[in-house]
Amino acid sequence: MKNKIVLWSCFLLMSLTSFSQSISSSPYSLYGVGSLYDSDFGYLPSIGSSGIALPSDTFINNLNPASLGFMYQNHFLFDIGGKAISTTYQSSSRTEKRNNFQFSHLAFAFPVTKNSGFSLSLRPYSSSVFKISNLKLPIADSQEYYYVSAEGSGGLNNLDFSYGYRLGKKLTLGATATVLFGNTVDDRAFLVSNAITTISKTTDYSGVRATLGAQFKVDSTFTVGTTFKVPAKINASKVQSVTSIADEVQSSIETDVASDVDDYYMPLEIGFGASKRFKNNLNVTLDYEKSFWGSTNQSELYGEFVNQDRFALGFTYSSKKNARKYWDRIGYAAGVNYDTGYLEVDSHRVNNASFSVGLNLPIENTFSSLNISYSYGQKGRIANDLIKENYHKISLNLSLDGIWFVKRKIE
Amino acid sequence: MRKFILILLFVLSLFSCGTDTDTGEFTVGSDYLALSNKVVLIDTVTVDMSTINFDSLATSNRSRILIGNYDDPIFGKVKSDSYFQLSTSTYALTSVGSDTESVNYVFDSISMILKYDRYYYGDTTRVQTFNIHRLTQRVKPNTEDDNFYNNSTLSYSPESLGTISYRPRPLQKDSINIQMSKEFGEALFLKIKKREITDYDSFTEYLKGLVLVPDTGNSSSAIGFSVSTSKVRLYYSKYQADDEADSYILDFQILDATKQFNSISSDKTGTILQNLPISTSKLSSTLTNNQGYIQSGTGVACRVDFPNIKQFKNISTNGAIVDAELILKPVNNSYSEKYPLADSLTVYVGDNLNRISGSLVNSAGTAVYGKLSQKSDEFNENVGYSVSIGAFLQKEMLKESDSRSSLILTLPGIAQSVNRLVLGDQKHLNNKIQLKIYYISY
Repeated sequence: MKNKIVLWSCFLLMSLTSFSQSISSSPYSLYGVGSLYDSDFGYLPSIGSSGIALPSDTFINNLNPASLGFMYQNHFLFDIGGKAISTTYQSSSRTEKRNNFQFSHLAFAFPVTKNSGFSLSLRPYSSSVFKISNLKLPIADSQEYYYVSAEGSGGLNNLDFSYGYRLGKKLTLGATATVLFGNTVDDRAFLVSNAITTISKTTDYSGVRATLGAQFKVDSTFTVGTTFKVPAKINASKVQSVTSIADEVQSSIETDVASDVDDYYMPLEIGFGASKRFKNNLNVTLDYEKSFWGSTNQSELYGEFVNQDRFALGFTYSSKKNARKYWDRIGYAAGVNYDTGYLEVDSHRVNNASFSVGLNLPIENTFSSLNISYSYGQKGRIANDLIKENYHKISLNLSLDGIWFVKRKIE
Repeated sequence: MRKFILILLFVLSLFSCGTDTDTGEFTVGSDYLALSNKVVLIDTVTVDMSTINFDSLATSNRSRILIGNYDDPIFGKVKSDSYFQLSTSTYALTSVGSDTESVNYVFDSISMILKYDRYYYGDTTRVQTFNIHRLTQRVKPNTEDDNFYNNSTLSYSPESLGTISYRPRPLQKDSINIQMSKEFGEALFLKIKKREITDYDSFTEYLKGLVLVPDTGNSSSAIGFSVSTSKVRLYYSKYQADDEADSYILDFQILDATKQFNSISSDKTGTILQNLPISTSKLSSTLTNNQGYIQSGTGVACRVDFPNIKQFKNISTNGAIVDAELILKPVNNSYSEKYPLADSLTVYVGDNLNRISGSLVNSAGTAVYGKLSQKSDEFNENVGYSVSIGAFLQKEMLKESDSRSSLILTLPGIAQSVNRLVLGDQKHLNNKIQLKIYYISY
């Protein structure tokens, strides 16, 4: 048992350190609190991240807390994942390819009573990693220019406490309390005329947000679900240092001055989902979610925010239940996702479209499985001041079924 | 246990993946970037210009004998006399062989040799005339310090010991030679020969000093000569000798440079600057054709004030002046080949009473000069002196007290030359002073 504790803590430590070095470096990370992560659990990445109506039976469904009401008893579910992303950045003048790896999530869930379940998960919410080298910008109302170099790092993390409760056989209700925390670091250097000004800023964010969810089993093959994310304010405060370098001498203008900055607002988000099983082996999921970013009155400091629509469609196929051969137990999945984006840059939305395929590889004779998903997508567009990102993404999610915890107890 | 190993392998494999570095070539939304930190260029700040007058400039020990005068349409009549005391290392004639032989030396001639130091200002094609006079007063400062000033004078005898009329060729020629009075030379020679002059004291008692006084009749230039290499040379030889080897010289030089100064006077009557106030006051450019004036030697300097600089604090809650450039434009037709522009401007920081606290310095503490952008162009639009004053203005903006500092502009060599400069103020028609302030909000 001691061994396990050591291993677990070691493991948690490693995952936490990797959180802090979240390394999606997208030029769009400049905005808001960074680029938002999609870190879905189990086989959700394979089905276009659809699944508001899916139960948390064989894996933890992070899309709807109500799904925890459908957990099987005596099962302890655990989920961990990572993504390898290869992105091609394209502007009107150049193309560049970058690979990176992201830690995706760490979560576990267990049934509390025979009709309720609880889950705890930690995942990155956003990454504000970006870099700008010597960008030439005009000085307003003049013929002159200045140069900016900037480097962003850090991001926000998402800690979810979720609870789902089943009323009778068909209806589950759930709620999530989300703690958002983290900081972003923004170092900028301005070359103006003959002087360099550096502004180094660390912004701390913290806030709590609630999500409510419900799922309803219309019949044994058809389920509908909904989620309702409550608007929230994420408190922001910054610590900033400004120095000036002129004539090869560095002088400090301000050092570690703490001040309030405009808070970040999370919108009201309403999602609907449906899941239908056909012929016992094909399952179709369809989600729609609307995020009312437009009514958050977000400070222009974070960028121009607009209402976002998200559509997701997914298919899973598995040949037979309780198949003897391993190959027959493998599940196949595919999905598409379209997202209008919440960001408007130069009056162009930064939208995102992707399709995905995946495999669900069962491990042993439990619900444990390794989920491998490949997706290809496009974000943004090539325009004056915009770039297009084409990405190939491989997600590896390890979903473990911890029925063995119970076994050990019995021993 | 297998599961733990599986998890560990999984995690380790994830960590082993590398991430490519971002070279930062891609940027979206440059307008947004400019949002949180605004960089602005402000060129509408009021700059006041005025002309001031230093009451005295220490002109001794400046390594230049400045002689000449010119009549300037803007600044009036400018004239420089040069005073100095001579001395030598040995107050004796050459002694070869026995003492009795020395009796047989005879005086030949005496002349002043002035070496050009390549400084000139004005029309060198015109003949310059000046006279050498003998001082009737010791070269000794009246003031408590050891300096002589541009307004110092010493009394001298009206009799000319030598005169020259020549066309100055300061760049082509090495020196000029002025024959001095035979009587003067003969008398000096005899004093030494008779051992009446044997040392510095007896020599300076006999010859207190000399002054070179330009003739105001026809000169129109000021010429610089070297203090260290110019001399008065006494020629003598053996009696009845016709051999070159029997000719000797005795040189008198300005060995103590503190005993040399130029008395530079200026007569501004009838000019726009005739009402130049006392040294603690200023004459606004609005009263002088929207121009500021600088003249070396006579102590005329240009002062620049920034009356509204503290309002910069109100532009944004947090902001800094990161750089600023002051561009001073010489007024068209106020300079020419004969009256060339200096390559730089010396900039001092002064207070409201024109008291100088020191040179304008940059953040590194080194002196900042005004640099001439170019000598001339077709319409002389871009001819200007550029001074980097970012550090100065940032300090002025943040200064707690109400007192404001001003910048005082002079030309280099203020005490040993007579160059002049006319600068336009903000309302000047063609040669406006410009101030560009680069400001960043944070």
